[in-house]
Amino acid sequence: MSEGAHHPAMSPVEERVAALEALLTERGLIPEGFIEQTIHRYESEIGPMNGAKVVARAWADPRYKQRLLADGTAAIAELGFRGAEGHHMVVVENTPTVHNVVVCTLCSCYPWPTLGLPPAWYKDAPYRARMVREPRVLLAEMGCELPSDTEIRVWDSSAEVRYLVLPQRPAGTEEMTEADLAALVTRDSMIGVARL
Amino acid sequence: MNLSDLGVPRRNGELVFDAPWQGRVFALADAVVERAFGGDREPFRQKLIKAIAAEPDRPYWESWTAALEALVPALPPRPVP
Repeated sequence: MSEGAHHPAMSPVEERVAALEALLTERGLIPEGFIEQTIHRYESEIGPMNGAKVVARAWADPRYKQRLLADGTAAIAELGFRGAEGHHMVVVENTPTVHNVVVCTLCSCYPWPTLGLPPAWYKDAPYRARMVREPRVLLAEMGCELPSDTEIRVWDSSAEVRYLVLPQRPAGTEEMTEADLAALVTRDSMIGVARL
Repeated sequence: MNLSDLGVPRRNGELVFDAPWQGRVFALADAVVERAFGGDREPFRQKLIKAIAAEPDRPYWESWTAALEALVPALPPRPVP
């Protein structure tokens, strides 16, 4: 694993990562194949398609929605989504008068089991600072213009809590199946920077 | 329908990792959290907060790397069984 640590083609940060890998492997902390398995999981199994299933179930089943809003962690686990960064999930519901949006002001806290890893802009300083200071302006810049009388609630994930936005169900979807509903749900709508 | 077939999490136009080293350093931190700290993410999160605050314009995965480097001296002597 560490034979490339001083490869001339490596950038400085790649060399630092290789050195960390060698050191942590030597400490017995990196099981064989662990890195590849982890990367594969986050690239193909964990992502916003999981959150979309949660949202679609909540739209289709009012009793599930009740459970989801009362205890997000347990209701999300019912669908099999649990694990790192998903231990204390709070689901916040958009309504005709309230729009919710999620940020992590200090770093990059994000609900991995339901949304995967955060997009680049979520981790950048401008989003982290401005979503708190001027959410209406920033949301409009991101293409999510809200009526002036819509209340905006900004949820800061910097505690142990991870938030997921339950978007409003689009009109005209009454006849759709749960799977078709899930296909409508975007990552950005579950962060709260877009509406459906 | 299997939603995994839609190609998400890339469907919003962003790769999870832009380069292989980013995935590797992400996984290294995951291993440390799980195996050295028994699943407690807080020690790493505190280092990440400090790393981001120290150089707010540094690319995210480089701050992540700096955070993991800063955590090394705090590693427990042996992995939690």
